[in-house]
Amino acid sequence: MVDDLRKHLNQLLEKVNGLHCIVITDRDGVPVVRSVTEKAPQLALKPNFISTFGMATDQASKLGLGKNKTIISMYSSYQVIQINKLPLVITFIGSDNCNTGHILALESQIDPYLKDLESVVLDAP
Amino acid sequence: MEKDLDKVVEEIMATSNVSGCLFADHQGLCLAAKGTAHVDSAGIIVAISEQACKLQPNLKPPTVSLESDQKICLIQRHGTITGAIFKLKT
Repeated sequence: MVDDLRKHLNQLLEKVNGLHCIVITDRDGVPVVRSVTEKAPQLALKPNFISTFGMATDQASKLGLGKNKTIISMYSSYQVIQINKLPLVITFIGSDNCNTGHILALESQIDPYLKDLESVVLDAP
Repeated sequence: MEKDLDKVVEEIMATSNVSGCLFADHQGLCLAAKGTAHVDSAGIIVAISEQACKLQPNLKPPTVSLESDQKICLIQRHGTITGAIFKLKT
């Protein structure tokens, strides 16, 4: 199952110009599946970076606009798109000029694989 | 702020056989969408126009026409803005 998903993520990675990596983690930033190119910044793949999203999305959900779904962070040379699929978090890292809309559209193509992964993460002690 | 864009969208939608239209910025983020055009397709529409531009980078961006049995989708890029019009075939 995970091999299929990894293969699928690799294919998605090739579809979007400037997309460096797709990582599926739990809310603590522990990677479950990841597909990474050599251009991805190693610092952004560390759990302490990814787990910040868990807190940020919780706080953003308190703004009275409903549950927070996505956080897009633009940096000088990278963009980080994180999607709330709690207990899972999908993180995309791309170049600053990468097609954000195209990355957001990938969500629907990853969704079908998440149900099985969710149960794995929930069952984990 | 987006009054002018809304006016253009209304004008396009008033044209016969047009079922939807969509505008997106260079990052693939939707600026306006109406009718059958779905907000989520903004990124893919921009990606299609980007790929088409690579065919002849020295010329101005081409108009891309995607045709199915009943519909036509026309994609045109102008500067940083990409527009798509969904038309019914006559």
